[in-house]
Amino acid sequence: MATMKDIITSPLLLAMVIIGLLYIVGFSLVYLKKAYTHCLELGISKEDLKNVIKSSLVFSIVPSLSIVVGLFALISVLGTVWSWWRLSVIGSLSYESLISSSVASAIGFSSSAEMLAGATGQQFGVVMILMSIGMLSGFFILLPLGKKLSMSVSKSEENGNGWKYVLSGCFMLCLFAVYIPVLLIGDTVQAAVMLTGLVIAVGLGLLSKNPKLAWLNDFIMAFSMIGGMISSVLWCKLFL
Amino acid sequence: MKKKGSNKIVITDSFQAWAHKWGRIGTLIALLYMIAIPFVVLTFYDSLPSIGEVINLSTISILMVYIPVGFSEAISYTPILGASSYLTFITGNIMNLKLPCAVNAMKLAKKEPNTPEGEAISSVAVAICSIMTIIILALAALLSAWISPVFELPAVKTASNYLIPALFGSLTLGLFASTSSGKKVVKNGVMGVVPVIVIITVLALVVRITTGSSLFGMVGFLILFMLPVAIISSRIMWKKNIIKVVDKEDADTEKSE
Repeated sequence: MATMKDIITSPLLLAMVIIGLLYIVGFSLVYLKKAYTHCLELGISKEDLKNVIKSSLVFSIVPSLSIVVGLFALISVLGTVWSWWRLSVIGSLSYESLISSSVASAIGFSSSAEMLAGATGQQFGVVMILMSIGMLSGFFILLPLGKKLSMSVSKSEENGNGWKYVLSGCFMLCLFAVYIPVLLIGDTVQAAVMLTGLVIAVGLGLLSKNPKLAWLNDFIMAFSMIGGMISSVLWCKLFL
Repeated sequence: MKKKGSNKIVITDSFQAWAHKWGRIGTLIALLYMIAIPFVVLTFYDSLPSIGEVINLSTISILMVYIPVGFSEAISYTPILGASSYLTFITGNIMNLKLPCAVNAMKLAKKEPNTPEGEAISSVAVAICSIMTIIILALAALLSAWISPVFELPAVKTASNYLIPALFGSLTLGLFASTSSGKKVVKNGVMGVVPVIVIITVLALVVRITTGSSLFGMVGFLILFMLPVAIISSRIMWKKNIIKVVDKEDADTEKSE
């Protein structure tokens, strides 16, 4: 009978994960090429695209490093290969971390260390299947209704109905309207971190008005996010 | 762009049409592969559990975390991400990485969501971001034995826990601007979500005062329930002319006056 350790260190799992990741990278590259070419066709300049790519690269680094922190936490529960796979595709740092803290008890172990030492392959199989089918729910909406959802708020120049413009902004505004009070009221450190990020963004916005510092404009969000995260160390010392 | 037929949506923008066809097919293939992995590996090791072992009272709590989050993300983020949704959803980490990255790109290029330009530029950003994350995670997994001590430093762990608040701090600045698209500007759009802000503020206060905790873990559900409130309230305010859609030129002239 195979154990959890056999499965998480399995060469077959590793091979399948690598093939899957290569497919996702290929899919991303095709998307990138199609979107880039279309941007040029729509009249977006190469210079603008270069700035977007540069800024997206910088912007991705810090959240990716946060995901790496989550990866190491997950590795101790689920092994390297499965954790790597879950966080590279489909998974979300917050929910995968949440799940990792409850899988051991769900399959009858008192801790993740005990699970890692004593779980059978079949028990770990329950975890793998649960994690794989759990996140499918979003795709039951996205795949059949993605086009309808996207186009229902599409703004076309010839469309005289102003409501579409209002509706289109509604989704993003609702996201903020929920997150901001939750962050500001729910937790003092979260509030302080958020306000620090905001203050840095305003400060950088003002600085970027100086022609010599105009380049800052492309990195306001990235830098203010990093500043906010770093400030959390100080706020935790003050408030916790 | 689209043309309305009787019921069928006909997309005239070539990238949007490509994404809604091939993006969807590519996503479906990836999805089938993701589901196949555990079944292939477990069958190989003769460790495939029974349906009863997978779905029972103890495991249902895990599914109850995933399922509503999945629904909520698809309903709330797809209208913002448009054609880039397929790549975004299949590569995951939406709220903490892909969505802010797409918003940042649209802001930089001065393009709006739900326009062919906005969707193409956010697709560029999401693709770059996905590749970058896969590379960083591959390096981390490969070098885990050497680099894990750095990522296990208390300061690094603390900073990582506050990614979402820091992201919202950096994104909030753009919230107070009027949203514009091509020749149109939406004025006072924020007014439409004031009822949501009030409801969530009251809820967050009640929870904080009574239990000392935060609604942070419930955000997925809250967005799902608050979306209809935001849409209805925006509709009413638009009808009452509180939220206005005006020509960009008029708005610019007003500003300069």
